[in-house]
Amino acid sequence: MTDNFTRRDMLRMVSVGAAAATVASPAILRAQSGFPDRPINVVVPFNTGGYNDRLARASAPFVQEALGQPLNIINRGGAGALLGHTFFQQQPDDGYTICVSSFGPYIPLNILTQDAPFTVEDWHMINLPSQDYTLMATSADSGISSIDDFLERVRADPGSVSIGIQPASADLVNLTILMEHEGIDTDALTIVTYDGGGPARNAVAGDVVDVALVGGQGFIPLADQIRPLLVFGDETRDGWEAALIGDVMGDAAQFVSGSQRGWGVHSSFVENHPDRYQILLDAIETASKSDAMIESLEDQALATTWYGPEASNRQLRQTAALMEEYIDLLTGD
Amino acid sequence: MIDFENVQGAVSLLTSSAQAWIWLVPGLIIGLFFGSMPGISITMAMAIFLPMTLYMDFLPAIIFLTAIYTAAGFGGSVPAVLMNIPGTTSAVATTFDGYPMARSGRHNEALGTALAASVFGTLVSYLLLMFLIAPVSRVVLRLGPLEMFFVAVWGMLLIGSLAGRSMLRGLLAGTFGVLLGTVGFSSAGHIRGTMGVPWLFDGVPVIPAMMGLLAASQLIGLINTRYLIEDEASRKISFRKIVGGMRDAFRQRFIVVRGAIIGVLVGAIPGVGSSISNLLSYAETKRNAPDGDTFGTGNPKGVIAAESANSSSEGGAMATMLALGIPGGGATAILLAAFAMNNIVGGPSFIANQMDIVYAIIFANFAQALLLLIVGLGFVYIAGYVVRVPLRFLIPSVLVVATFGSYAIEGSAAGPITLVVFSVLGWAMMRYQYPVAATVVGLLLGRLLENELARVFQIGRQSIEGIFNYALTRPGALAILGLMLLSILVSAIAKERRRRRGIKLLDEQV
Repeated sequence: MTDNFTRRDMLRMVSVGAAAATVASPAILRAQSGFPDRPINVVVPFNTGGYNDRLARASAPFVQEALGQPLNIINRGGAGALLGHTFFQQQPDDGYTICVSSFGPYIPLNILTQDAPFTVEDWHMINLPSQDYTLMATSADSGISSIDDFLERVRADPGSVSIGIQPASADLVNLTILMEHEGIDTDALTIVTYDGGGPARNAVAGDVVDVALVGGQGFIPLADQIRPLLVFGDETRDGWEAALIGDVMGDAAQFVSGSQRGWGVHSSFVENHPDRYQILLDAIETASKSDAMIESLEDQALATTWYGPEASNRQLRQTAALMEEYIDLLTGD
Repeated sequence: MIDFENVQGAVSLLTSSAQAWIWLVPGLIIGLFFGSMPGISITMAMAIFLPMTLYMDFLPAIIFLTAIYTAAGFGGSVPAVLMNIPGTTSAVATTFDGYPMARSGRHNEALGTALAASVFGTLVSYLLLMFLIAPVSRVVLRLGPLEMFFVAVWGMLLIGSLAGRSMLRGLLAGTFGVLLGTVGFSSAGHIRGTMGVPWLFDGVPVIPAMMGLLAASQLIGLINTRYLIEDEASRKISFRKIVGGMRDAFRQRFIVVRGAIIGVLVGAIPGVGSSISNLLSYAETKRNAPDGDTFGTGNPKGVIAAESANSSSEGGAMATMLALGIPGGGATAILLAAFAMNNIVGGPSFIANQMDIVYAIIFANFAQALLLLIVGLGFVYIAGYVVRVPLRFLIPSVLVVATFGSYAIEGSAAGPITLVVFSVLGWAMMRYQYPVAATVVGLLLGRLLENELARVFQIGRQSIEGIFNYALTRPGALAILGLMLLSILVSAIAKERRRRRGIKLLDEQV
C-alpha cells in the first residue's frame, strides 16, 4: 500500500488533513494561537518555605485565574540560587517557564562571584514587589544606643566592636560604603561572617556579636530582642525607630537594596514572543492589582506592590552596577 | 514555674472537642511510614502533609504535625536497625549497635529497645520543656561560636571510640570526614574543593553520602550471604522478645535521662539538633559504661543512648520555636509555617499571652508518646519481617529505594551520583578496615567545627592573645570545656579502677 505514495504525497496529505482539522475545530484553532494552552512552570531557585517560595505559591491562585492556565511551582534550591537560575536559563524561552526569585542581589552575585553561565542582560524583570533593605541592629541588652554611638566606639577603639554579616552580600557593600563615607578603615572593624541571614540575626539577638547588618524584614519576629540602629533606605521601613542612611550620609547617600524579589523571564522571550509577553505581563499586573490578591498576600506578610517592568529592570541593573563596583569586596580579594 | 490557670485552660482546650484527637493516630502512622523510608526526611513528611492542615483548626493542625514529627523521629531507627541505613541524620548512632544486634538475631529486642527509648526520651524532654521553656530559650541565643566549637569537639571525641582496632585508621577516617564536611562555601564566603561542580557549592549532600557509606557499602559486603541473620531459628518475629527489649530500655533509666537532657539542650540550639545529639549521647554512654568495650558489637545500651537523645531533641527544638519564634531545623520551620497560616507568630509574646496553647501542645505530645508505644509496637512487628526476606531480593530493593530517596532529597541527579560514589568509597574503606562510621561523624560535624572555629578567629582578630581574651569573656564556653574534660577524666579513672580490680581478681584467683 504505502509503496504507492511518495513521501511528498504523504506530507501533503498530512498537512491538508491537519489544515482541515484546524478549520473544522475552532477549539484546536484557539489552542494553537492562544497563549498559554498548557500549564506554566514557575521556577523558584530556593527551597520550600522561604520568602520566594511563599510568594510564588500565594500568588499562584490569582495569577492562574488571570492567565487561564495553572501554575506549577518547581523548587530548585542550592548554591545561592545559582543552580535554580542556571536551570531556568536552560529552559525554552517560550513563556511556559517563568521565575520567581530574589533577583537582586543573587543574579549579580552569581555572575560576579560564582562564574555564572548568564549575564544580567539575559534577564527581564516583570515586577519586583518585595524590596528588602539592610538593617543595622544591636542586641536589646547591649550598651550601643545609636548609630552615632556605634561610629564613636569604632573610632575610639578600633576592633572593639564585632559585626555579624554575610560575606558577599548587599549588606557588606552597604557597610563598606558607610565606612568609606565616615573615613573609617575597614581594618578597624571586627567582621564575623555567617552563612545565612537567620544565624546572623540570632547572633546579634543573643549578644554574641555587638551589631549585625542583615535584611530587615527577617528581624520582625525578633523585634523584642534587638535595638534597630540604622535603616539603609530612603524612608523608614516596618516601623523601625532608627536613623536613616540619609541622616548619616546626607542627600547623596548611596546604598544597595537588599533582596529584590518578584517575577522574571528570559530577555529573549520578550524579543521573540512580544505577544505572549504582553499576555503574561497583563495577567501578573491584573492579579497584583486585584483586591483579592492584595488582601490574601498582606495576611501572609507578602508584598504585592506594582512597580512594572521599567522600574523593576532599572532597579536590578542599578544593584548589579553598584555591586560590580565593589567586586573586590565580594570575591574576598 | 507552672501556671495552673493555664494548665486548666489547656485541659479544657484539649477536652472540648474530639477534633484535636482524631488526627493523632493517622499522624503517627504517617510519620512512622515516611520516617522509615530511607531518604524521606522528617521535614519532607511534614511538608507533604502541611497543605492538609489548611482545613483544620489551629490546635488539631499542630497536634497532627507534631504527631508526624514524633513518629518520624522514631521511624528512622527501623531501617537503621534492620539494614544499617540511617534514614535521617539523627539515626546514625542507632546503627552502631542496633544493626549488629539485628545481625546476631536480636532484631526483636533492638527494635523494642529503640521504641521504648524513643518514647521514654520524648516524655522526659516534654516534661523538661514544661518546666524549662523560658530559661532554655534564654540560654540558646547566648551560645556563641566558642561554645558551639566545644560542643562540636565533644562530638568529635566519638571518633576515638569508633576507631576499632587501629586508632590511626580511625583518626584518618575521621579527618577525611571532616575534610569532606568542609567542601563548598565556607561561612567566610570562600569556595573549597568543589572541583567546579556547582552541586557541591552547598557541600557534599550529607544524607546520600551517609546512606552510601553506611548502608550500601555494608550491603555490597553481604552479597554472598543468603539472609540478614544466618541462623534460621533466630529469624523469628517474637512479640515477647520485642516487649523484652522495651523492658531493657526502662531498666536503663539513667542512660535515657542523660540522653534526654543532652537531646533537649543540643536540640534547642538552632541549626544543630538531633543529628548531633544522638552522637554526643552515644559517646558519653559508651565512655562511662563498664562494658564500654562491647559497644559497636550489639550492646542495647548504645541503642538506648542514641534513640533517647534523638527523640528528645524534638522537645528542645520546640522550646526554641515556641519561645523565640526561631526554627531550629526543617521540622520546626514547617510548624512555624502552620502557625503563620493561622496568623499566629511564635516568640516571647506568644508564650506570654497564650501559655494555655503551649501547655495544650505539650500535653498532646505526652499523649502522642504513649500512643506511639502502641502504634509503634504494631509497626515494628510488621517491619521485623524484613529479616525473613532473602538478601538476593532485599539488597536490590533497598538499593533502589535508597536511590529514589537520594533523588527525592536533593531534587536532582546529584543525590544518586553521591550515593554511588560513597557506596564504592565505603566498600573500599571496609575492605581495608577503615571505620566508615568515623568518616560519617566527621562529615556531620566538620562544617560546624570549621565555621565556629573560623568565627572564633574572626572575633579574636586572628591573634592568639585576642582569642584568649575572648575566651575569658565567655564563662559558658569555659564551663562546657570544663565539663568535657571532667567527663573524660572521670571515665579514665573509672576505667583504670576497673582494670586494677580486674588485675586484683586475677591475683586472688592465682
